[in-house]
Amino acid sequence: MTWRVRRYVFVGVLILFIIVVGSITYYYVSTPPTTRQRVVVYAYNDRITGIDPSIEDDTGLVIIGLVYEQLLRYNPLTNKLEPVLAVAWNSSEDGTEWVFRLREGVVFHDGTPLNATAVKLSIERARDVYRETGRGAGYIWEAVTDVEVVDEYTIKIKLEYPQRLDLLVAATYAAYIFSPKALSSSGASSYLDKKLESWFNSGNEAGSGPYTIEYYRPDSEVRLKKFDKWWGWSLVNNTRAPDYVIVKILPDPQSQYNGLISGEIDIASSVPRDYVSLLLSKGFKVHNLTSYHNYLLFFNVRRYPTNITEFRKAIACSLNLEEAVKLAMKGFGLRGSGIVPHGFPGFTEGLYYECGLSEAMQYLNESGVQLPVRIELLYQVDYEETRIFAEMLQSRLKDLNIDLVLNPQPWSQLKEIAKGVWENPDESPHLVIADWWPTIPSPYDYLYTMFHSDSKEWNFAGYEDEEFEELIDRAWELEGTNYSEALNLYKEAQVKLFNEAVGINLWDEVRPFIHNARVELPDECMNPLYMYVIYFQYVRVGT
Amino acid sequence: MPISLNYLLKRTAWIFLVVVGVVIFSYMAIILSPGDPAVKWAGNPRGPNASLAIELARRELGLDKPLFIQVIKFVADVFTGNIGLSIAYKIPVFDVIMRRLVATLELLFVTYLIAIPLGVFLGIRSAIHRNGRLDTVLQSLGTVLANTPTFWLGAWLFLTLVLLGAYPYGRVDPKIATSTGFHPITGFYLIDSLIEGNLLVFTNVLSKIIPPAIAISIYPLGVLIRLTRALASDALLEDYIRASVAWGVSRSVIIWRYALKAITPGLVQVIGLAFAYSLVDAMAVEYVVFGREGLGSLLVDSLNYSDFRLAVGLVIVVAVFYLLVNTLTDIIQALIDPKVRL
Repeated sequence: MTWRVRRYVFVGVLILFIIVVGSITYYYVSTPPTTRQRVVVYAYNDRITGIDPSIEDDTGLVIIGLVYEQLLRYNPLTNKLEPVLAVAWNSSEDGTEWVFRLREGVVFHDGTPLNATAVKLSIERARDVYRETGRGAGYIWEAVTDVEVVDEYTIKIKLEYPQRLDLLVAATYAAYIFSPKALSSSGASSYLDKKLESWFNSGNEAGSGPYTIEYYRPDSEVRLKKFDKWWGWSLVNNTRAPDYVIVKILPDPQSQYNGLISGEIDIASSVPRDYVSLLLSKGFKVHNLTSYHNYLLFFNVRRYPTNITEFRKAIACSLNLEEAVKLAMKGFGLRGSGIVPHGFPGFTEGLYYECGLSEAMQYLNESGVQLPVRIELLYQVDYEETRIFAEMLQSRLKDLNIDLVLNPQPWSQLKEIAKGVWENPDESPHLVIADWWPTIPSPYDYLYTMFHSDSKEWNFAGYEDEEFEELIDRAWELEGTNYSEALNLYKEAQVKLFNEAVGINLWDEVRPFIHNARVELPDECMNPLYMYVIYFQYVRVGT
Repeated sequence: MPISLNYLLKRTAWIFLVVVGVVIFSYMAIILSPGDPAVKWAGNPRGPNASLAIELARRELGLDKPLFIQVIKFVADVFTGNIGLSIAYKIPVFDVIMRRLVATLELLFVTYLIAIPLGVFLGIRSAIHRNGRLDTVLQSLGTVLANTPTFWLGAWLFLTLVLLGAYPYGRVDPKIATSTGFHPITGFYLIDSLIEGNLLVFTNVLSKIIPPAIAISIYPLGVLIRLTRALASDALLEDYIRASVAWGVSRSVIIWRYALKAITPGLVQVIGLAFAYSLVDAMAVEYVVFGREGLGSLLVDSLNYSDFRLAVGLVIVVAVFYLLVNTLTDIIQALIDPKVRL
């Protein structure tokens, strides 16, 4: 065979090989899996920061909420509590002693039955880790003096002062019950042993929820498997619940959009808001969740000129929040009123600034601030909505002869700069935009954390006011005995913040969860208190 | 033996010194930049004791010590293999990096499976047709490829495929992987799927790896076309090649056996350098454009989260990778080229 002939043979074989491999690839890639298992891919927009049920206080909730359960769960529609691991509960008249009756027949994923000892261990661990190290949301148990095991299925919790403990056991964080077997599985000598935390954060779990963790990669993907022995399957009566849930970490909204279009993703938590109507026109569906996640504008009350109330009010008047919601949030938000978001206990209607540029000018004159003046706004660099808002505000303040300098920063840098208001107020920005979502269904969560002088890590305004602090501290204590009076005090506190223009709730986010037609998301599968958790036991999936 | 003990000792000492330098420089650069790792390590605490949590975290991370003590301790931790847990993910830094490194290496292997044979083949064709029309076309192509921004080509390729209805995003379709029970063993998904006999996953992984591999391969491809041409042109003018022609040795034997053998040491050297360079290219393209997990996204994440352990760990990995590839290239050259002694 000559060299030329061999060359043609070689090229022919190569072409044939490419055709065969290409055909096989096309066949397999274009053919959906023949398995009957129901797999759902949920695109989540942030990395998982940990899954320790007692300590995690951040994005790990999206997994913890499916793997673990609390004693009760808060229903935002009825403003009532619903039984989960506890079936009955009551408190003493003075609100300092609570008894919870546990559900019988519940087993943890490791096969251990739920009992009062597990509840005691879970509460004490969250509380004591917090007391020892300040980590986690264990402060919700701060008033707990004793957790007493009355019998196998009854637990009595004694408090130092009256509290709505039924609300606290339904908290977003630090209220999850885990199996005591986790201690021996992790080799920990006590519940404060670091080994237990490492064991949890390595992808192990000891929950009782409807899903177990099969595969854990906090930076890219977490695979959850249906727990067939979950006590609630007969109650939810959903034969079409997913067998597997894949939480895919996709921080880029455009990637979530592409994933939906290609069919690799079933539910997207964060597509570009501009694309929602386009997706709806393509046959996708939307589940709008009015969340408790809100965006606040803080004024540095310790630095000139934002230390002058009239100057702050001038800026407040220059904001057009209806327009901001339309432009920055593309309509997916509700204009803020007061500090506490819509639908949350303590929400107060009418606490927004209904004034315009002429009133703003008037306030400026009253403030005595010499114009032009330059002030700085700090906001998070990766939030598109805050960038748009910041540019809007910059343009509006220009009309008032106020030069607004924009300072976008990543979150960790933002926080470090913003909390500097306590030590170096004159070097801290005049305005800061930060977002918040609650841990407990109480206005105290928002008001204490962001405006109490003891909360120097999150009070970016540098606000310190005895009257305000007394109001909210009293309300917090009253929650246990006179809830309606407590709510009144919280409203009073918000009116005070409003009158002094210390901080403004810009908007409460409405989050569009987009999903394909294969998946049905009933209302009960989402809850604004447990942000981003989709209760997949209620989700119905086609094969 | 063409490799002396002296060379190995010198190279090891050099690697050691470079790693120490890299650790010191990168640690200081990250620690002195804005952002407080202690806040993240404490879990962004919200409660009344948040300041205590951050203070304890700072102590636990050793950030309360003077900078030079921090640096010394960190260097010691690196060399005792005890960098610790990632601040962002709370899992061992080594585990996070290895998983991502494997993903990036898999992509690079496929990249070079495309670039080496194609680059060498086209370079030799160019040399055979020296100064002809084909040579001009191939040389121009090589120049264009070597100078095309990988990021731009990757984005263009990705968008085109998306418009065509494909979705070359990520490493594997999670639904296919889960429903077929795919469990990675080595972390190289192409190999794992073959080991498990999971053809569905194999083809899916292949369909997702080829577009980024094409994008990254353009630089080594362009370089190889031009370099192979230059080396082969010289080799084809050597006396022993002329003698072979005179002796009637077949053309294919002369080109693919004699000439290729002669130019291999030079090619190995260039491939080594290009491979190390492609690591950076892969880091830029794999996640930002194709959404593949790899070292690139990890570096961005680690900086965003002030995760200095992860960031320094990554810089070490990249530095060691460069040094190892260069050392390996030298060794291979010494083994195949009798003129080279180390």
